Amino acid sequence: MNPKTYHHISSNPSSVKSRFTRGFLRAFKKIKRQQRPYLYGRVKIAADKSLALAVGSRRAWSRALLWKIHYKAWRQRSRFNNKKKLLKENKKNKKNKKKKNDDEEVGFRHAKELRKLVPGGEAMDLCSLLDETAHYIKCLITQVQVMKSVDQIYSF
Amino acid sequence: MNRGVVPAGEMLHCTDLTVLERQRAHMKWQQEQFHVVQQQQQQQESYFSELSGVFSVPSQVSHVQSFEGGLLSGGGDSVLGPVKPDPALENGWPDLGKVVVPGYGFGPCGPAFDADANYAISRTTSCPPAVAAEAKVKESSIVNHKMSAAVGRESFKKRKADKVHNTKVGAEDEAKDKRMKGCAEEGDSKIIEQNNNNNKSNSNNNRETSGDTSKENSKVSEVQKPDYIHVRARRGQATDSHSLAERVRREKISERMKYLQDLVPGCNKITGKAGMLDEIINYVQSLQRQVEFLSMKLAAVNPRLDFNIDNFFAKEVFPACPPNFPPIGMSSDMNNPAYLQFNPVQQQVVSCSGLEMGINPSDMGLRRTISAPPETFLDSSCFTLQPSSIWDADLQNFYNLAFDQGRSTITTTPFPSQPFTGSIEASNLKMEM
Repeated sequence: MNPKTYHHISSNPSSVKSRFTRGFLRAFKKIKRQQRPYLYGRVKIAADKSLALAVGSRRAWSRALLWKIHYKAWRQRSRFNNKKKLLKENKKNKKNKKKKNDDEEVGFRHAKELRKLVPGGEAMDLCSLLDETAHYIKCLITQVQVMKSVDQIYSF
Repeated sequence: MNRGVVPAGEMLHCTDLTVLERQRAHMKWQQEQFHVVQQQQQQQESYFSELSGVFSVPSQVSHVQSFEGGLLSGGGDSVLGPVKPDPALENGWPDLGKVVVPGYGFGPCGPAFDADANYAISRTTSCPPAVAAEAKVKESSIVNHKMSAAVGRESFKKRKADKVHNTKVGAEDEAKDKRMKGCAEEGDSKIIEQNNNNNKSNSNNNRETSGDTSKENSKVSEVQKPDYIHVRARRGQATDSHSLAERVRREKISERMKYLQDLVPGCNKITGKAGMLDEIINYVQSLQRQVEFLSMKLAAVNPRLDFNIDNFFAKEVFPACPPNFPPIGMSSDMNNPAYLQFNPVQQQVVSCSGLEMGINPSDMGLRRTISAPPETFLDSSCFTLQPSSIWDADLQNFYNLAFDQGRSTITTTPFPSQPFTGSIEASNLKMEM
């Protein structure tokens, strides 16, 4: 475990942490102020979004996560307008998807599952997938830490 | 930019040393031919000094690897400098031998030393140089050989020529074996261009040596010639661009896997990439599930938003504070710069909710703290007599806060809790309407 070797992978964790905390608390407050259904989902989305924003657009996974959130919001908004059209589009998208041959290497059969877990993992090659996974794990750890402490404070 | 500098550097030295050793073996062979033809004492002397020059190599290997990260950039020149065979080869290696091993006598003890030394050299060529510990062991064994050679100097004179050839063949065979091994561990021969200094100096070094021995091993020199080649293959390995790129990629992947292994707890014991990937996947899944669970928990919780945020930030800014504050201890945190910083937010909350229940101006601080919670109570749906008692308890806290802040004249007059609950209800009614 040589920290010098790997310092390129970790962006400064304290700054990401503080930025995430600020953004998440702001979003959380906003959610609590507006009274709407599906609170759980909204809190989750807020947590994800603020994490991705805290990391910034340097990382592929944060970009993918932001895009996913935006796309979901957009789809929810437009679902009421044109349901049928979207369904057709989805079908087309499914047909266009192709299997990756990158994971056929020995010992990497399980990389497909990892691709599903890491946001934006479907489009990466194996090398950058592992890189992004490492960073993503780090950020998830900070997210869990911060959310735990928020929870602790809110319910003492 | 700095990716994998240290391992690449190590490997660079190792590969270079192997190449050097191989070339030295060739040069040795040349010299031996010379020997067989001329059989003169002076030549033997020079040959001996050459061998002692070779001897210095393994000790330098261990030297390099003991310094590992620190000396890599500068060490490339200084360590490999004296090994440069170019001027020494023309002179018959006298200077080098004297410089490196000054303690041994030259002239008469040459041949005896030869025999044993050749044995040692064949061993050094057979040793896989990527392993530092082994190199060290080799060094110690070689030292032993030296000692024994010094003891039994003058015994092997006659057998010298034959034995030299034999050992040479053996070294060749072992080199072949190593090549086979090298195919298996292809990644070792990778060199990244990022450590430019090392690369340049070494490539210069190698070019000089290859200039001498270019007739015999044209392949090696072909590989070493240009500066812009990022990756150098061992002999016998594929050198086309695809396989080189593949090797680099595999190296990168293994590096990432190592890093992930460090990151994921309990992943150290597992060997094999499949198991490690499984572990990583499990870990990511558990983390995501934890986030989901926490967000659920947070959605269910009734946040007393205002001072809690301040409290949290006070904790974030000054992590030395204990995690759970008693409600009265909060007042000390309120004086933090964090609190002052987040005052405007609270002001906004007040303005947004638009509660108009100002009883007297001294109330401002309290009203500010109260303003947000009632709304949250509305969406938590159970809005009856129950919460009022809770809010009473909370109001005590707020009261304490205001009290400690010393905002105004509240300090003298004790607050009745009645008007505040009333105001909450009023605000709730307002919200419902």
